[in-house]
Amino acid sequence: MTESTDSVSSSDRSPAGPSQSPADGSTARTVTRARRVHPATIVAWIVVAVVVIALPFQLQAFRVNQMSAWMTIAIAALGLNLLTGFNGQISVGHGALFGVGAYTAGLMIIKVHSPLLVAVLAAGVVCFIVGVLVGLPALRIRGLYLALVTLAVATLFPLAVEQFNSLTGGNRGLEIRTEQMSSRGFMKMLPVRLASPFEGLADDQWQYFLFLAATVICLLLTRNLIKSRVGRSLVAVRDNETAAAVSGVPVAQTKIITFGIGSALAGIGGALFAIDLGQIYPSSFTIVISIYFLVAVVVGGAASTVGPVIGAVLYGVFSDVVIPELPDRLQPARAVILGVLLIFLMLAAPGGLVGVFKSTKAKMTIRKAAKAASANAAA
Amino acid sequence: MKDFLQILIVGIGDGSVYAMLGLGLVVIFRSTGVLNFAQGEIAMFSTFVVWTIHDLGVPMWLAVIGGMAGGFIIGAIIHEVAVRPVGDPHQKPLAVVIVTIGLFLGVNGAAQLIWGTVDRRFDPLFGSGSVNVAGVPIAWQKIGAMVVLGAIAFLFFVVFQKTKLGLAMRAVASNSESAGLVGIPVPRLLMLGWGFAAAVGTVAGVFTTSVLGGLGPNLMQLTLIFGFAAITLGGFDSLVGAIVGGLIVGVLTSTLPRYVEQFEKMPLAPAFILILLVLLIRPQGLFGKKDVTRV
Amino acid sequence: MAQLEVDGVGVHFGGVVALDGLSFTIDKGQICALIGPNGAGKTTLFNVISRIYDATTGSVTFEGHDLLAMAPHRIVELGVGRTFQNLALVPGLSVLDNVKIGAHAKSKGGFIASTLRLPWVISEEKRLTELAMDILDRMSLAAVANHPCAGLPFGTLKRIEFARALAAAPKLLMLDEPASGLTHSEVDELGSIIQAIRDEFDLTVLLVEHHMAMVMSISEKVVVMDLGRKIAEGVPEDVRNDPLVIAAYLGASK
Repeated sequence: MTESTDSVSSSDRSPAGPSQSPADGSTARTVTRARRVHPATIVAWIVVAVVVIALPFQLQAFRVNQMSAWMTIAIAALGLNLLTGFNGQISVGHGALFGVGAYTAGLMIIKVHSPLLVAVLAAGVVCFIVGVLVGLPALRIRGLYLALVTLAVATLFPLAVEQFNSLTGGNRGLEIRTEQMSSRGFMKMLPVRLASPFEGLADDQWQYFLFLAATVICLLLTRNLIKSRVGRSLVAVRDNETAAAVSGVPVAQTKIITFGIGSALAGIGGALFAIDLGQIYPSSFTIVISIYFLVAVVVGGAASTVGPVIGAVLYGVFSDVVIPELPDRLQPARAVILGVLLIFLMLAAPGGLVGVFKSTKAKMTIRKAAKAASANAAA
Repeated sequence: MKDFLQILIVGIGDGSVYAMLGLGLVVIFRSTGVLNFAQGEIAMFSTFVVWTIHDLGVPMWLAVIGGMAGGFIIGAIIHEVAVRPVGDPHQKPLAVVIVTIGLFLGVNGAAQLIWGTVDRRFDPLFGSGSVNVAGVPIAWQKIGAMVVLGAIAFLFFVVFQKTKLGLAMRAVASNSESAGLVGIPVPRLLMLGWGFAAAVGTVAGVFTTSVLGGLGPNLMQLTLIFGFAAITLGGFDSLVGAIVGGLIVGVLTSTLPRYVEQFEKMPLAPAFILILLVLLIRPQGLFGKKDVTRV
Repeated sequence: MAQLEVDGVGVHFGGVVALDGLSFTIDKGQICALIGPNGAGKTTLFNVISRIYDATTGSVTFEGHDLLAMAPHRIVELGVGRTFQNLALVPGLSVLDNVKIGAHAKSKGGFIASTLRLPWVISEEKRLTELAMDILDRMSLAAVANHPCAGLPFGTLKRIEFARALAAAPKLLMLDEPASGLTHSEVDELGSIIQAIRDEFDLTVLLVEHHMAMVMSISEKVVVMDLGRKIAEGVPEDVRNDPLVIAAYLGASK
């Protein structure tokens, strides 16, 4: 993917036009740090925020839980975007890491009775390590071949989970239960729940906001990384390793750490997913979910900051809202539509939705400038 | 010992099927540079076509031929419509991977839409009987797989080495730009390559159906991994490698779980470990050409 | 003491001898040209110094440091920068970002600090932006600062490549065929630019170049290679008239 649809250098730090050379020979230049954010963007973000916050109060609990699940996909997709979109390491095995995160968190809660937050963070750490370990051989295996290896990992992961069924519960699934106060007033092992501490807030709504917070945090952190010196080095390694090395980027280290971070995000997403579902099965973590992460990244816009979240939400809406409306017989249409969509995107809009948005914006800017120029010429 | 021989023969028989899929993968890789992750699904789809034709009353052999023809057309169309417009896999590896994955999803979903998820059955091409060789019972079907692989390999040999068409295809695989410049209709031949691969894949699908005992949408998902293991071992651009690799993978997959305790629980591990080891240690495999990059 | 010492460097790829016992030195502040017919091994030597290739024999010392013992991304930290004939630019980044990447080795901010957007990371980024814009100004590229690198004319890309290399504040700048692909007037301009940059940034310059007129006019020292070996070394005047050099380029007269 050689097109980055996001100029990594923050466009808000755009230096002003021509340099002024004062008569005394000193090179002073005013660099405007002003953020030229369009008022329309601010309005859009406010609308989005209002909708996102209001939704859980308008919808039924099971819908709210579904949206929580979408957020876990979004977090994992953010990680995949870093790895594949920005750093060019094609991974079709992200679902396996998502699964590792889910089972790590689940087992920690069950076996060690760890608090949920600790379980989630532990899943992140474990997946970081696994990601680094996977990243090591990935140094020597690139492009299509890396896709092949990760495809094999993704295909074999659920089978491995089934095999180690003494640990994972195999096909019977892993029930994540914690000790909670039952409705009758005594302590019982119940499916894991994020119990709401507030009167007016239902459990599912509380979970929704916690997950939302987690997603926003991950989004901000990845955004910081992308727009930084390190983010530039990721893109440099993707597009031209020699150029990166010559400029002092430690290529191998960068690739490995990026694999770790991308995997850590998958792990966090997986842990939250496990908590949301309460019971996980190997069939949740097949090659199919790896593919769906790629869909989220690509539809939203690979190598864009917010694309993966958009893609994850859109995929969620499509998968959980639109498709279930179809009769049972037509359920496989989901796969067909996604398949066609992927192919169509690569042919017509490789930059995903964000890419389309940016090029439309650019075209409108050019059109405006052309109009202004011709107006000037006419005057 | 008798046990071992039987397992060995089963492995070679299974390996022949992997080799068939591998041959298709190699043809596609050599001509278009693509690792076709959807190869298994296309093969599965064409196998369903075989079943449909057979279900109409056509004898199995003819149905297979019909399915192969159908697969050929499907493969050619897929290349023309979805693969060629995307561009060079070296320039845009992610786009190509996404497209093949899209095909994976789409073809699988289409098969489910058309035929549903209930397993279909048809009789094994070579019957369910077995023959006694030196006291070891060997299924005719396994022998049949080897024979068919041999026939396909022979056909490939004849076409690629002895015909003008084959020469043109080799030219395109070697240097498509030059081939175009001397008047070879490159796009048409690339389409042919994908068509051939799909046709051969159909045969692999038919054999896999009898191995698995039924035809369903997930038919080829594991065979695909074995096919890729075969060509990784053999060399991504080597037809001979696909055959040798396939047979070796088949033998490893049938013998290791029996005789090595660690693999008993994970019969698929050998394939994956093989892919990983080859790519790390000797990426060009047994018979492939080494990739050289210029700085 | 010479700033760069190439001593007995040999590179063997299997049976092929790309470099054979190559030795020469460069003093600080010099503009030294490396010339020779195609296949002489000039780019191979550059790649050895940049650590893209390993040398089979010999040593390369820069200000006393043994370059051949270092990893490729460490070379620029020592002050050895280089441009590429095929341009080491990153198409996915803007022009400004490409120059900032050039300064990667001379800037700070790792994964954790960047993710947390610590205050010192923010001010470091500001510093980098100023630095990069300064260099872009110097190369008359300020107008395209935020333009993606892809799609710009070749001559512009060459100047960006220059800017990228300068961003690392190198002490020795290796230029790999900087004049290739340029028009006549651009080449003339290039010669003056190289000299001006050498003076302004206090550099030593080692350039590989085929454009003889430019080479002879700006170089203080010329090293001639043929078939992996040095066949002449000296001031432009002497080298130009060296019979071995003439024979290498034009073939020996019988």
